[in-house]
Amino acid sequence: MTADRPKFSGASRYVLDDELASIVNISMALEMPLLLKGEPGTGKTMLAHAIAENLGMPLIVLNVKSSMKLVEALYQYDTLTRLNDSRFGDSRRDVSDIEAYIKMGKIGQAFTAAERTVLLIDEIDKADTDFQDDMLDVLDQMEFDIIEIDKTVKTRHRPVIIITSNAKKDLSDPFLGRCNFHHIAFPEPKVMRQIIRVHFPDIDGDLMTGAVTAFYKLRELDSVEKKPATRELLNWIRALRADPDFHPREIEKGAVPYLGVLFKKSQDFARAVAATGRRSLR
Amino acid sequence: MFITFFYRLKEAGIPVSPTSFLRLQKALSAGLVASLNDFYTASRAILVKSERYFDLFDQVFAHHFEGAEMPLREGIDLDEAIQALLQEWLRDPQMLADVLGIDAAEIGKLSPEELIAYFKARLADQKGRHAGGSRWIGTGGTSPVGHSGYHPGGMRVGGVSRNKSAVKVALDRRYRDYSHQGPLTQAMVGEALKRLRNLVPTGPKDQVNVEATIYQAMKNGGEIEIVFDRSLRDRLKVILAIDNGGWSMDPYIPVVQTVFDYARAQFKDLKTYFFHNTIYDILWKDPARYRKPQRIDEFVRCDPETRLIVVGDASMAPYELTAAEGSIHIEERSGRPSFERLAFLAETFRHCAWLNPMDERYWDYSQTVKAIGRIFPMFTLSLDGLEKAITHLMQK
Repeated sequence: MTADRPKFSGASRYVLDDELASIVNISMALEMPLLLKGEPGTGKTMLAHAIAENLGMPLIVLNVKSSMKLVEALYQYDTLTRLNDSRFGDSRRDVSDIEAYIKMGKIGQAFTAAERTVLLIDEIDKADTDFQDDMLDVLDQMEFDIIEIDKTVKTRHRPVIIITSNAKKDLSDPFLGRCNFHHIAFPEPKVMRQIIRVHFPDIDGDLMTGAVTAFYKLRELDSVEKKPATRELLNWIRALRADPDFHPREIEKGAVPYLGVLFKKSQDFARAVAATGRRSLR
Repeated sequence: MFITFFYRLKEAGIPVSPTSFLRLQKALSAGLVASLNDFYTASRAILVKSERYFDLFDQVFAHHFEGAEMPLREGIDLDEAIQALLQEWLRDPQMLADVLGIDAAEIGKLSPEELIAYFKARLADQKGRHAGGSRWIGTGGTSPVGHSGYHPGGMRVGGVSRNKSAVKVALDRRYRDYSHQGPLTQAMVGEALKRLRNLVPTGPKDQVNVEATIYQAMKNGGEIEIVFDRSLRDRLKVILAIDNGGWSMDPYIPVVQTVFDYARAQFKDLKTYFFHNTIYDILWKDPARYRKPQRIDEFVRCDPETRLIVVGDASMAPYELTAAEGSIHIEERSGRPSFERLAFLAETFRHCAWLNPMDERYWDYSQTVKAIGRIFPMFTLSLDGLEKAITHLMQK
């Protein structure tokens, strides 16, 4: 195949491992959607942003919601505006032309865009299985019909499709059959340090060590529903740095200020407070 | 190319499809794969569709390309069992000697490696009938050594590799923590909660969906068509009965309680009770099973639509279930055998389920599991089992 195929090689704010990079490149070359699973905070969503930044493509994000119908992701027929126009006739739109009232949804936008785009379908597991299977049909065929005007929308440039899922349960077989798959493990402390350094290039060494150690200790707490993830850690460090009275040595002594940044659910928060109060987090 | 590799994956139990294999060929012919490393990532991303099989894939890959030993099928459980056993041995060499049927002095001479080899050989002999004993590795026994699927340390963190050969990476078996279909762990709490969300009754279609109605009316050219949605009925009452006697159940109790406590808001009423091994006349409100008794006869006053969920390994001596004075606690003896009392509960609450943390493969080896399974619909205490149990509980 051609040598000038765009290759993904990381972005300015994203720590990429080689394995994931080659999986992304293979998926792009095979023109297959890439399904990413893994705990929240492992950078599934960030990957799509990084690809878009690195390859200079526009990013289109479809945030899946549980009540979502496939047609909403494809296009919307704005019946209310049309009714309004037909009654009051004060717009420049032609009421007899239904196409003027069709708005593209996120998938529709990616299909009709003038250049190749990155299409991120975020948290697919929220929708029901029918949605998932139907959507994959559309992505497979790379075309869909607008029933109201009897027109078929075909893709101009096959988008790079990244799909993320938080569920530990598997998606349906036909769905999986049409995707490549990768599971992103939670970063090890070493990688986490790199991630922190990317975000805070001037971070103090003591603060980094203390924060990372305390963070991984807190993640090991039992019975926590929502474990703090990378995003929480970064926000926490931001909070610690913003506090002029804070000194990294406090963490070494076992104090964990701003626990609320790390634990967002009241039960989890109570557990974390109890745990940090009981034993030092060194 | 790599057809034997493909079939080895299939034999190992990874659901690989010919379509995806053809796609791998496409990737190969497109020149996307330049090294064994690339082949590892490419074949895994294309062929394997769930992290549950990553560990197995690693094993097969290492076996196929490097001739690494393919572990026994239950290799994962085995390793943990061995670890636990060794720890136990350090505490009590005499007991271990009895278990393995050799002299304590002789064991002292064995190196840990030799001991493991000896132990594996013994376990291979034992295959298929190691569920009920009191000292052997198994699921139903009272032995302190491991129970398949329980991770004392919770989910470990998988690593990220750099500059390692693919075979070395595969040999690392980084994904073993994900490969368990087995019982619930703390890491799965969030997932389990999602299953419980279905524990909501639905009512008749009697609520007007305004948006859909407007849309339909517009589509019909102004002819009004009213669209109805299903309304939610009142929330459910749930009784949770947990076997907290004996440490064979210990790892699961906090998980089960966490799951249901977090879901509490979703229920109208959630009552948790405790029992040891099986239920006689009394369930206990306090985990110590001492201060707050609750006579099960009084349950007839409860709403019969209450969902009863029992969590226990259902493993005990058969007489505890069948004998009129079966309870191992004298004060609980009432003259009625436990299986009658269980049947009474199953009749009182027609929506009931028994969740068993034991691996389904071993159920047939235990008489009491089979007997209780005839009274209560029994499901494994895993994500899949939970889902099935919820579906069963929500049946009309």
